[in-house]
Amino acid sequence: MISDFAFLISGAGLICLALFRLATSADLLMRVLGLNVLAIGIAMVLLVSARGAEGTDAVPQAFTLTGIVVLVGVTAALLALAERVAEARDE
Amino acid sequence: MMLFDSVIAAACLGAAAMALFARDRIAAVAAFLVMGLLVALSWLRLGAPDVALAEAAIGAGLTGALLLRSARRVPKASAKALPPAQWLGAALLSLAVSGAILWTALIVETAAIYPALVNEALPESGVENPVTAVLLNFRAWDTLLEIAVLFAALAVIAVVKPVHPRIAPLGPMMLPFARVVLPLTIFLAGHLLWQGGHAPGGAFQAGAILAGGAIALGLSGMVRPIRWGRAALAGLAILGLGAFVVAALAAELLTGALLGYPAGAAKAWILAIESALTLSIAATLLLLFIGPAERH
Amino acid sequence: MTALLHSAGLVLMIAGTAFLAVAALGVWRLPDLLSRLHVLTKADTAGVALIALGAACLAQSFTATLSLLLCTLLVALSGATTGHLIARDHLDFASSQEDSP
Repeated sequence: MISDFAFLISGAGLICLALFRLATSADLLMRVLGLNVLAIGIAMVLLVSARGAEGTDAVPQAFTLTGIVVLVGVTAALLALAERVAEARDE
Repeated sequence: MMLFDSVIAAACLGAAAMALFARDRIAAVAAFLVMGLLVALSWLRLGAPDVALAEAAIGAGLTGALLLRSARRVPKASAKALPPAQWLGAALLSLAVSGAILWTALIVETAAIYPALVNEALPESGVENPVTAVLLNFRAWDTLLEIAVLFAALAVIAVVKPVHPRIAPLGPMMLPFARVVLPLTIFLAGHLLWQGGHAPGGAFQAGAILAGGAIALGLSGMVRPIRWGRAALAGLAILGLGAFVVAALAAELLTGALLGYPAGAAKAWILAIESALTLSIAATLLLLFIGPAERH
Repeated sequence: MTALLHSAGLVLMIAGTAFLAVAALGVWRLPDLLSRLHVLTKADTAGVALIALGAACLAQSFTATLSLLLCTLLVALSGATTGHLIARDHLDFASSQEDSP
């Protein structure tokens, strides 16, 4: 129970740090990194609340797995856009 | 174990702070990788080994590789001093949002309705691992659309086409390394794919590991990213989505329900779809890393 | 026999942890990149190998031992290769600095 609470605090802390960084940084790479940390924090909160008497609920686990795979696609697309923005500025 | 869990949870936060507030980008990405592995460890402790595997392979490994690849290419933003009011506002807002999430998670009593439903339907799903059952049987729709999203990301990159300077080979030690590691990753991916039916594992983890091995081979400089090679990879990337759609339509014709597998044959259907998905996910992730096309 | 293996496993794991702790101390205290790498690659591989050996003694099952062996092999391989790559990059960078001051 205390372990779950520790992980819940950790998840909320990750969300807090990532949101703060997203709001204060103008650096595109750090923003993408912040988005990743934010998603991991949300996944952590989701997984902690999936805990029950008979183990961890499979449905939120599947959501989280889907989220991780979608996130890597989003990260790659955002990085490509960021690189393109840099090129457009140079031209 | 309570002490261990608390230390891991605190270490996740510490690594995240290092990743987000490091001045040097390489250090930030390195801290992000460490954070990913710590988070995977803590999810293992939370009883979610499938998700932990995916986080270690995709969230930490591949995302880290993507960020590291782009670290030199995305220029640094000029550090303008923000007004103190904005710092304060950002701090207050992020504290408020995360506090609200924490409060909600603590206060709201959730009625666990899914575990009973999953346990009830698990024997007819064809697999014994509940997460695989949810992903490829009960909610196979979601997974189909997830593959479509991955493909859409690839399409975005193909349209945007940033100039990808040829990724420089990493020196003579990389080839022997890849020679040992690539067969191991193929072996591991097959193992994870088969194991996904009854134990932690599955198509996503297997595909990510396969992509990692292929990236190692690519970085050795022996495989030149030639055009037909990319076309073949793109074909492989489409194959997974295509196979999934065909399977969905065939299931519709056979049973009258989209992605409702014929009774008794669910295991074979799931394995066939997962095998196609593994190859397709590996090809997609590899293309996300090396870029789907070169601009002329 | 089981008790003996159990205590042997514990001793091996403690030794491995000590190796890793020394490696961490080395990375923290040593002055330059090459000496840090020197500590890291060796002590790290040895530490992980010892911990895996200890865990194999504790687990006492063939499949677990096989996957632990695979882990050790991969850590040794990737540790050595990354160490080499970092050192090479560092030397390249240093010589390019000397050439064009």
